[in-house]
Amino acid sequence: MPKITVDGKQIECRDGVPVLQAVLEAGWDVPHYCYHPGLSVVASCRLCLMEMKMPHPQTKEMDWAPKLFPSCQTPVKDGMEVRFASEGVASSQSHVMEYYLVNHPLDCPVCDKAGECYLQDYSEKFGHASSRMVEDKHKNPKKDIGSKTLLYSDRCVVCSRCVRFGDEVAGAGELRVINRGHRAEIDVFPGVPLENELQGNVVDLCPVGALLSKDFLFQQRVWNLRSTPSVDPTTSAGATIWIDHNDDRIFRVRPRFNEKVNEWWISDETRFGWKYVADSKRLNQPLQRDNGAMKPLRWEAAPELLRRLLDEAASADQGVGVACVLSPMLSCEEAWLLSTFVRSRAPQATLVTGYVPVSGPDKTFPKGFKISAEKAPNRRGVESIIKAMGGPNATFEQFVKSAGDGKFKLAYVTGGYPQVWLTADQARAIGKVQTLITHDLFESALDEYATIRLPGASWAEREGSFMNADGLIQPFERALKPLDGVKSDGQFFHELVGRPGLYRGAKTREAMAEKIPAFGDIFVPRPEPEHAH
Amino acid sequence: MSWQAIDRKSAPADEGPGLSDAVKEKIRAFFPRYETKRAVMLPALHVAQEAIGYISVRAMKDIAELLELPPSAVMDVVTFYTHYWTHPRGEKVLMVCRSLSCQLMGADKLQHAIETKLGIKDHETTPDGKFSFMTEECLAACDHAPCLMVNERMHKRVTPEQLDKLLADADSDKLPMPRSDLYDAPHGEKPARGH
Repeated sequence: MPKITVDGKQIECRDGVPVLQAVLEAGWDVPHYCYHPGLSVVASCRLCLMEMKMPHPQTKEMDWAPKLFPSCQTPVKDGMEVRFASEGVASSQSHVMEYYLVNHPLDCPVCDKAGECYLQDYSEKFGHASSRMVEDKHKNPKKDIGSKTLLYSDRCVVCSRCVRFGDEVAGAGELRVINRGHRAEIDVFPGVPLENELQGNVVDLCPVGALLSKDFLFQQRVWNLRSTPSVDPTTSAGATIWIDHNDDRIFRVRPRFNEKVNEWWISDETRFGWKYVADSKRLNQPLQRDNGAMKPLRWEAAPELLRRLLDEAASADQGVGVACVLSPMLSCEEAWLLSTFVRSRAPQATLVTGYVPVSGPDKTFPKGFKISAEKAPNRRGVESIIKAMGGPNATFEQFVKSAGDGKFKLAYVTGGYPQVWLTADQARAIGKVQTLITHDLFESALDEYATIRLPGASWAEREGSFMNADGLIQPFERALKPLDGVKSDGQFFHELVGRPGLYRGAKTREAMAEKIPAFGDIFVPRPEPEHAH
Repeated sequence: MSWQAIDRKSAPADEGPGLSDAVKEKIRAFFPRYETKRAVMLPALHVAQEAIGYISVRAMKDIAELLELPPSAVMDVVTFYTHYWTHPRGEKVLMVCRSLSCQLMGADKLQHAIETKLGIKDHETTPDGKFSFMTEECLAACDHAPCLMVNERMHKRVTPEQLDKLLADADSDKLPMPRSDLYDAPHGEKPARGH
């Protein structure tokens, strides 16, 4: 590992990274716009310039070279000495910042980026408080460049991150720089809008307020948002995300850096896949069938009722006629709690891997970003739990078939899918089960057969962990309070098992790891350096 | 209005003329010369501009298809260089230098004379399609300021009085010298070698 000296302090850095990346990782705040570790280096923003010691041409003594070097384009070399804390660097930074603001409209009060904008941050730290510009500003237009994105090119600093992202990561290349000099602006070809499946990332990538998400436009000032670390619930890839929320409403989902899975990006499917959480059609009242009609059931009475029903069904034959469908939308902890509960009353109960939605083939993008075809986050987690629990198990198709054959007296079916997941035929087959308990987000074809219907919570209202398709167990936290009338699945299963106190993902994971050691090994991606963006 | 966004999602109603098969063949003839198809961009744009007078939206799409690039990549290059025209151009393009030497020697008077005589402004074309006018940063002949370039031919020390004769001259845009031996003719035609 090379050691370099920065501002008189020696730091150790990773091999082959640029000086900028090394100093950011060591905690320096060096201003930069065009540099992004996931993209090629262009050294065009001229903000990360540094001074470097080089041999003097005549005396060969090491001395500070008279010109500045872009730290993003200079790889680290053992023994090199650079500095950012110098008059030359500070003056260059302040001049460059002044140039960036020459034509900037300074419309922060109406700009969505305000509060997380690097023009604001760097002006404050490295630039000037006021502008010397008295001439008219050159005003580039605002453009509608795609179904999800707006481009306010008057705010743009032409760092070309979005252009490089489109070329290198998304492989679509819709965005380009047109014209040149102060007239340069980002644009799409007329009639060929920005429509790739990773397009939402350009909004995160934009260091200023030029690229804006139509979905988030004028929705919320960013300083009112709280960010909760979470995991993508839409596919089995297990991309890590931030849920930005306020007042128990999600406003946006952003990628959370993950060196093993999604790096800095997420697909639009993940980014906009949370809408069902706020759907007004969500179930919010536990119901129980009473003489054919569904009547409200109190949450407090549900555990006792379920225990009684399960005991009745399992009393004669150790629960051979009992099935529990563990949806791949459940977290590992929830699936474990529920299966533990069912097996504690019915030791021979069949554990079923829930329906796994699959759509099309996996998609791989030029730099290796993958969109997984499996549209459920925890198939592998549920399968590992069923395997570790031992005893009878079945696939969803087998379960539907045996249910249709009348094999089951009682079944606990968990859903939690944002989309319709059952055909009428499947529902009819499952409907043959005498006592059917459903636990789902939305109304489904099973409702007419259900004995008890419990409303489920969305992933943002729960906590736990998902095991992705590669076997990484990644924890996620609760962002929202569950909808009124809904109890988070984990809390309910916790009460079913009869554990004291409140359900906590991490605590449950510890208890689970004692029984199934594989679940002791969770993966939390390393945080990005504080000043990197 | 400043808060209104320009629609870039829909294609323009008129995309202009496209490239004929013969022109496309001319562009393809450049492929063996370069390692990548992308490198044929500049010659391809020249060929297209020669064929239809400017580079239309349709032509950019055609070139993008030929070079296997997104059309935005073609637009990027076209708009970077001021000598590629994105709208119809007159038969003769008058270019006046607006840099220091020419300005001092009266280029602004010359520009004014052209603008009044032809009734057009910078980067515009006369209704009869004969003349277009544009200003240029430097024509690299400061010792003969003010300079006026008509298509490929440079006219030096031009005064507003000479303008009428110059505009009337049918050959005012022809390069008087034959090409040198080093001239690399486009699209494979055999140039007349030597002087």
